[in-house]
Amino acid sequence: MFEAIKSKLNDIGTIKLLCERAEAHALLDQQREPGAEHFLLAALDLPDGTARLALEQVGTEPDAVRAAIERQYTDALRSIGLNANMPADPPMAAKPGVYQAAASGREVMEELAATRKHHSPLLGVHVVGIVAGMPHGVAARAFRVLGVDCSALKSAADAIAEGGRVKAFDR
Amino acid sequence: MVDLHDITIPTDPDEALAAVVALRRLADSIERQAVRSALRQGWSWSRIAQALGISKQAAHKRLSDVAADNGST
Repeated sequence: MFEAIKSKLNDIGTIKLLCERAEAHALLDQQREPGAEHFLLAALDLPDGTARLALEQVGTEPDAVRAAIERQYTDALRSIGLNANMPADPPMAAKPGVYQAAASGREVMEELAATRKHHSPLLGVHVVGIVAGMPHGVAARAFRVLGVDCSALKSAADAIAEGGRVKAFDR
Repeated sequence: MVDLHDITIPTDPDEALAAVVALRRLADSIERQAVRSALRQGWSWSRIAQALGISKQAAHKRLSDVAADNGST
């Protein structure tokens, strides 16, 4: 009972940190509302380290994700014959008020909520598993830039998450 | 100079839609830089809004943080 309450409180703290980091990544990326790609970067920041582990298991350097996100924008512009790099802008300032995510970011949060019973505890790798399962959008294109096999990443993420769950039950 | 005749729209929807997203992001970035520059040159929000073809309220709502960056409101 005590462990269940403790786990729930830990999950709330993780969600708070995840949302704050996702917003910070979005603002750095000149976007007000975090999308799935920002939640992915936020998951890589979580202290549990499982998101980074999942990427490493499929042969991808976690620190390369940010550059891949940027690269897919320039690749997309190049695909229509436009050679343009995004002008360097200072990070946007956070606006006070209700937390709002972009549609893809909301999709990540809704999926996390829908699968919360399987978490205990919530880990960064759960976010990676969800984002790896999204076939379209900025994050999916960034994974393609990195040459990530998304189904292999999802399997790796699920296996790590399952391991984390077993460990939590053993405690 | 970009010749619009050189712009090709990919037939793969995923690629074409990715280009739309990237163009919007580029346009947003150019808008913010242009507004920052206008504010530095003393333009009012009414004038900026008129130039962007949107209401003053809409311009202020979307871009007021540019003013904050710029040290003005």
